[in-house]
Amino acid sequence: MIPHDLLTMYSAKAVEYLIAISFLLLFIPFWRFVNAEKIPAPAARRVPRWLDTVVEWFTVPSQVYFHPGHAWARVDGADIVTVGMDDFAHKLVGGASAIALPAVGSHLGQGEKAWSLVSDAKSVDMLSPVDGTVVAVNEQVAAPRVRSPRDPYGAGWLLKVQAPRLTANTKHLLSGTLARRWMEEVCDTLRARMSPDLGQVYQDGGLPVDGMARDLDPANWDGIAREFFLT
Amino acid sequence: MNERVDSSAGTFSWPRENLLMGMTLREYLRSLVTPFNAVAGLILLAGLPVIVYRFAYGLGAVTNLSQVTPWGLWIGFDVLAGVALAAGGYVLASTVYLFGLKQYYPVLRPAILTGFLGYFLVVVGLLLDLGRPWRLPYPVVYSYGVTSVLFEVAWCVLLYFTVLSLEFSPTVFEWLRWKKARRRAAGITIGVVVLGVVLSTLHQSSLGALFLTAPTKLHPLWYSPFIPLYFFVSSIIAGLAMVIVETAVSHRIFHDQLSGGKHVDIDAITLGLGKAASVVLFSYFFIKLLGLADGGHWNLLNTPYGRWFLVELLGFVLFPCLVFAHAVRERDATLVRATAAVTVIGVVINRLNVSVIAFNWNVANPYIPSWMEVLTSVTIVTIGLITFRWIVNRMPVLREHPDYQGMH
Repeated sequence: MIPHDLLTMYSAKAVEYLIAISFLLLFIPFWRFVNAEKIPAPAARRVPRWLDTVVEWFTVPSQVYFHPGHAWARVDGADIVTVGMDDFAHKLVGGASAIALPAVGSHLGQGEKAWSLVSDAKSVDMLSPVDGTVVAVNEQVAAPRVRSPRDPYGAGWLLKVQAPRLTANTKHLLSGTLARRWMEEVCDTLRARMSPDLGQVYQDGGLPVDGMARDLDPANWDGIAREFFLT
Repeated sequence: MNERVDSSAGTFSWPRENLLMGMTLREYLRSLVTPFNAVAGLILLAGLPVIVYRFAYGLGAVTNLSQVTPWGLWIGFDVLAGVALAAGGYVLASTVYLFGLKQYYPVLRPAILTGFLGYFLVVVGLLLDLGRPWRLPYPVVYSYGVTSVLFEVAWCVLLYFTVLSLEFSPTVFEWLRWKKARRRAAGITIGVVVLGVVLSTLHQSSLGALFLTAPTKLHPLWYSPFIPLYFFVSSIIAGLAMVIVETAVSHRIFHDQLSGGKHVDIDAITLGLGKAASVVLFSYFFIKLLGLADGGHWNLLNTPYGRWFLVELLGFVLFPCLVFAHAVRERDATLVRATAAVTVIGVVINRLNVSVIAFNWNVANPYIPSWMEVLTSVTIVTIGLITFRWIVNRMPVLREHPDYQGMH
């Protein structure tokens, strides 16, 4: 009995079709592999030595992502991110009475309220740099009346967050040269605040004092802070 | 007669400024004493008499070619590999002018120069092989030979060489300070580039199509009805790889030309070209697999020629593809350059395999090139390098001419 033509398979053609389909299927991951941007390698478990890059008066480390609301994020594992407030935020607000951190298990959204700085019965919110779930908080920093550690990017961390959408989140964050340029613009804005009548002037040395916002406007320091923190 | 007085800068001499690079004749001759020139001089001293000897006494006196093996190293390396490696001209021209990727402009002129010199030397190599160089115009004016694929190759190479001359002419006119001619030459660039891409598609694939006329002579693993497609796609790969290598070498040797000009991120350009090479190599690998499946000679892979085929396919196609992808992802321009060098070698190996090594693979006395053939090929390459250097040192290839800065 002659087999039906439709059921006849030419082995060479079958292999060719398989090769063509394999090419189409493999091309997608290959293209994504070639175009993927490298995410910084996880930092060492012990307290890292930062190659601090000082921009104007504030440190802007190169291995950290910055949110324009002055929160920072550091990749510590596959999708675990350590989060805190940057050097500028520390010096702007100074020693807060307390920091109201979210509870472990809370869900954060990038650009949404994450924690609050409480001082003199006023509260200033700060925004989360990443989406995710809080897996740990820094109890030492959260305790009331505890002096904030001098290392905002090390011992001064606030939260550890499990961030499943890290690659997408980092596209909206600043790092490296962009972060340094952003900090330069922030400093220009701060200078304009300090000398609104004189226009832009450059200080001849000196260091920013803790709690700059209170020095600029004791009654409205929270408004200044909210302006910089985008809240 | 060639002098004019420039009241601000003393006497201006065109030959001294543009030919001797501002040096006196004595200084210029003294500057020629370098190790590279010494080696090149020795090669020319040995190679040029061999070329004269070839024309005086014929192919048989110089080569190991025969009636059974009429094509050898000169066709395999100088013509086939030469045409493939000169493909950087049309690849970069289409990248910049047709796809609008202007960030690759800094490497366009060197690529066109490489293509221009490459095709010129291909013609020289071809004339060496054919003999009777006065018959070069025959396919154009006297006896077309329309039954041969070589008719199409001859016309394509002639027209494409003209195209390359037109594409390179703005550089020459800038050097000569012929502003009107430069403006006219720049005005026809887009049309010339389109013509160049069409012609390159034709002759790159036609050189592969030559082997369709000898299906029994070429080893089954290399023979395929897709050979024209193989040659065309691999020419894109060869062009990209050659531009990466040539850019790296030029920027090292001629770095003094670049120091005063606008900063160019060569690493970013290298990474971009490496990404393109990776994607084309990936596609080429699967096209070769398709040809392998179409031929159905899987059993031949377990033979000495089969293992050599796998070396070419896996070691010089798949391996560079993956390394390019890794290097681009890691933003490692140095690794891209090293991989490009391996890729260039791979394309040369492929052309030699198709035309020499796997061609007439089953004859009793396989062809091995004579030392005079090898010396002649090395001489041709040396002439190309010397000419490239002469042009780059004098004309605005790697740098912008001060009168035309920012006009590209």
